[in-house]
Amino acid sequence: MRVIAVKLVRLVVVLLIVTFLCFLLMKLIPGDPVDKVAAFATPEQKAVIREQLGLEKPFFSQYWSWLSGFITGDFGRYYTTNGAVGETVSSVMGQALPVSGLLLLYSQLLALAVAIPAGIYTAYKAGTRVDGVANTVAFGLLALPNFVLALVLVIYVGAQWKLLPTQWAGDPGVNPMLQWRYALLPTISLAAGQIAIYMRLLRTDMIDTLQEDFITTAKAKGIPPRKVLLRHALRPSSLTLLTVAGLNVGALIGGAVVIETIFGLPGVGRRITEAILAQQYVALQSFVAVIAITYVLVNFTVDILYSVLDPRIRNARAVT
Amino acid sequence: MPEQSPSPTGSPPRPPSESGGGVAATPEVVPATDAAGPSPPDSVPEAEAAGHGRGLGVMAWVAIGWLVLVVLLAILAPLLPIPDPVNDIDTNAFLASPSSGHLLGTTSDGHDVLSMVIFGARASLIIGVGSILAGFLVGGFLGILSGYFKGRIGGVIGSVLDIFLAFPNLVLALAIVSFMGQSIRNIVIALAIVSAPVLARIARASTLTWSEREFVLAARAQGARHARIMWREILPNVLPAMFSIALLGIAVVIVAEGGLAILGVGVKPPTPSWGNVINDGRSDLADAPWITLAPSAAIFFTVLALNYLGDVVRARFDVRESAL
Repeated sequence: MRVIAVKLVRLVVVLLIVTFLCFLLMKLIPGDPVDKVAAFATPEQKAVIREQLGLEKPFFSQYWSWLSGFITGDFGRYYTTNGAVGETVSSVMGQALPVSGLLLLYSQLLALAVAIPAGIYTAYKAGTRVDGVANTVAFGLLALPNFVLALVLVIYVGAQWKLLPTQWAGDPGVNPMLQWRYALLPTISLAAGQIAIYMRLLRTDMIDTLQEDFITTAKAKGIPPRKVLLRHALRPSSLTLLTVAGLNVGALIGGAVVIETIFGLPGVGRRITEAILAQQYVALQSFVAVIAITYVLVNFTVDILYSVLDPRIRNARAVT
Repeated sequence: MPEQSPSPTGSPPRPPSESGGGVAATPEVVPATDAAGPSPPDSVPEAEAAGHGRGLGVMAWVAIGWLVLVVLLAILAPLLPIPDPVNDIDTNAFLASPSSGHLLGTTSDGHDVLSMVIFGARASLIIGVGSILAGFLVGGFLGILSGYFKGRIGGVIGSVLDIFLAFPNLVLALAIVSFMGQSIRNIVIALAIVSAPVLARIARASTLTWSEREFVLAARAQGARHARIMWREILPNVLPAMFSIALLGIAVVIVAEGGLAILGVGVKPPTPSWGNVINDGRSDLADAPWITLAPSAAIFFTVLALNYLGDVVRARFDVRESAL
């Protein structure tokens, strides 16, 4: 328990610093941020915005008021050019997060569903022609950026063969990831690279496991290969895979941002692109902060789960 | 002191069989070519031969050849008999499909795609090499420092690096570029900031193992100063590991440039970069897929070559601790 407590303290510190860096982003804007945030506002409106952003206050009290708003779910508002009250960032975020979340979930599931059988099979057939071909394909997939695959799918599956729609033009309140016709191509685009990574990982670990004595024993007892692979070898070989899969959820967020933009999905990525183009820096700042926090929390959860799953790690970590 | 965990919340120490989930590949899974090539007739897989034998192997030379070609074309671009990618507009050919006049077709503005891809290699390579070079210097320096001084200095540097690793790479780069303004310089800065912590982690892990060795102890016993030990004893041993990761890093950064371009914060048009041309073609995917496909292929083959060479270097120097 003490280990977990220490980790929780570290987590809070990391979160504080990460949010602070997100807050600092606003300071990166060259010149007066208000000119960027609301380029066409009248001087009076600019004064109001300056007041809202708290630019007159001392630095740390600016951070504090931003952070306290952020924690309570007040991410600020979109600016409008006509002085009207803009949409709240949190309502847009509420619609965008489930889209991105499902995209990540689907692509992870697809990647594991393909990579696990492929990894087991290639480990079993290690050194054969099948194994060689599979590894060459995996090596190629690793070099294929997800946006290139996405665009190729858009060109062929969408434009040339007209099999599936590739642009979501529906109601922003509806989650397109709940419709398989819209969900399939983005999921494949994001999953492909992961398939290669996971397959190679599992294959390497399986090959190691298959040389262990207990596997030889199992084989000697006359247990059929299928059972040896699935019952005896898979479990001890899958720990690394699961960890990496967990950590990759965070790493995939960047990829999801690009994929959403290509397929026009109203997820966080698409919202970020819009915010950049419209110079909606307050919204952009909140989106970046939410992504960074999600990433930290996912990594934290995986870390905790991992130490619960593997007693060796649990004990080793307790010593430190 | 135990090895600093790679993620801010402390990701679990990974078993040695797993060498990084990303582009990093275990040497043995490099595709084996059936072609015998200059290597001995027994069918040793290419990377293995490269690792333990003398020759580099056919595939490695193909990869090197491709990279040399790309670099040469990029450098010599203004001298080549191709139209200027910005100023030359063929008013007879808008969205023309590939033909003898325009080998890779034209864009909706009548620009020659081949010339855009060749000139685009300049921006993409400058970004790829520039940011990794900067990340290499800064990350290598910080990594060796924090690995060598394991105590307080190492802890502080390690924590700072962990904080940067707490951001998803592309999102951090995106944020920096969009707040600072999109120019090649800012993109290089952003991607250098993203890559430095990763390279530092490699340098740190490598330094931790090397600084335990006897020759370091011997140098210390002879009264060598810290700076000298780090420069003369540790650095030469850490370089191979960092070099192989840097090759993979250039690949990652070239891909990242493409991602940034699609997100609208790439190199400012009309300056072409591979990412820019890809993004340019997105509005004409149905009518003129070649605009997007040509630079995509350039990225793919370049990344493939860099990944392969990275693996060869890793196999050669037996680099273990690597996670990109």
